[in-house]
Amino acid sequence: MTPAAPQAAAAAAMRIECRGVGHRYSAGRGLDPVSFTLTGPGLAAVTGPNGSGKSTLLRILAGLLRPVAGDSVVSVSGREVPAPERRHVTGWLAPELQFYGEFTVRENLDFAAEARGLAHGREAVLNAARAVGLSERLGDRAAALSSGLRQRLRLAFAILGDPPVLLFDEPGSHLDEAARERLAAFIQERRTSARVLVATNDSREWSLADERITLGTRDLGDPS
Amino acid sequence: MSASRSARAIWAILRKECRSEWRTRYGLNAALLFALTSLTAVSFAAGRLGDRSDLLAAFLWIVLLFASLASLSHTFVREVEGQTLPMLRRVASPTEIVAGKLLFNLLFLVVIELLTIPLFLLLMAAPAPQWGAFLGVLGLGSLALALASTLIGALIAQTRGRGALFAGVSFPLLLPVLAAAVNGTRAQWQNLPVASELRLLAAYGAALLAVSVLLVDHLWEE
Repeated sequence: MTPAAPQAAAAAAMRIECRGVGHRYSAGRGLDPVSFTLTGPGLAAVTGPNGSGKSTLLRILAGLLRPVAGDSVVSVSGREVPAPERRHVTGWLAPELQFYGEFTVRENLDFAAEARGLAHGREAVLNAARAVGLSERLGDRAAALSSGLRQRLRLAFAILGDPPVLLFDEPGSHLDEAARERLAAFIQERRTSARVLVATNDSREWSLADERITLGTRDLGDPS
Repeated sequence: MSASRSARAIWAILRKECRSEWRTRYGLNAALLFALTSLTAVSFAAGRLGDRSDLLAAFLWIVLLFASLASLSHTFVREVEGQTLPMLRRVASPTEIVAGKLLFNLLFLVVIELLTIPLFLLLMAAPAPQWGAFLGVLGLGSLALALASTLIGALIAQTRGRGALFAGVSFPLLLPVLAAAVNGTRAQWQNLPVASELRLLAAYGAALLAVSVLLVDHLWEE
């Protein structure tokens, strides 16, 4: 894994807080209200049974979903980042993240870097691709990638530009053992300078966490 | 800083749309096929319409509208059906996304017009336009058309039955554009003033732009 550019100062003054955050897609589906506070860099795991709202919680923190109850705070360098601007400080990986099939891996990442306005976009793309083991696949069309390589592309997209907050939803899915080890090493490295939240039920992933947020039962959202 | 960042995002989205269209030829081929076949068919069936400025004006806008509409209405639908909207939302704000796609739709219309209008003037034996008035009507009409179709496309992208919905919603919104554009185009061929049509198209375009600015930040909120 390539050392990520540390954003230690930003991470040190970092806070993620949920105050009674809940969401409902329909009756019985969504996220029961959850409250917790995470400060500084580190690794937190979000666990819970299927349908408990792990992905929903990460989508809310990423600014992609407005909760129907409560509010969430993502604060970086002492500044609260409003939900519509969180794409600039968070990296989000989720199974629903898809890419333009007619573009190559490099074109997808170049587009993301350019649209985000990253200062050294080309360099950021190469660093992200190297970090997830996609350097040799930059010229491949996204549509031709296997599910494991597509997951690596999602990971590269999430870490592009080294955001201080990383929101990983089932990051190990579709990955082979070597890629899982690479991912674990990457998370171990980033947890010292970034706040990493991993939504997972895989004990290999959540057992490494400093804090664990368990969803699925009302009012059991505090870190333990 | 924020304005330049937005400008970069809009530029990136415009380039992405152009590259995607170039690779897939999703809209361009269909648009050109429609324009070519309809012009050829009418030319064979009705002959030259050089002395019928009313028919010429209506036919020109029908060709432009239907040639471009399939692509214009699908710029957002393609993102939803390709499941790329979450990725797009992660790299740009709704305003930047809509602005980038609006610019692409405008560019697409310009390309269609550049290829279609010379052919139209030739095959229909249309009289030489008063270029200032003609281009004024064409430019403002295209802007209003692109604004209306982009706004509707953005609004209905995540609805069910969006194909049918687009037709239903776009009819009342596009009708004023078509009426003013056809009137203006006819008037310039009849050596009549087109100022009122230009004002109407400009005002309608401004109203659509204002509505877009008010609505786009609330798009795709779940």
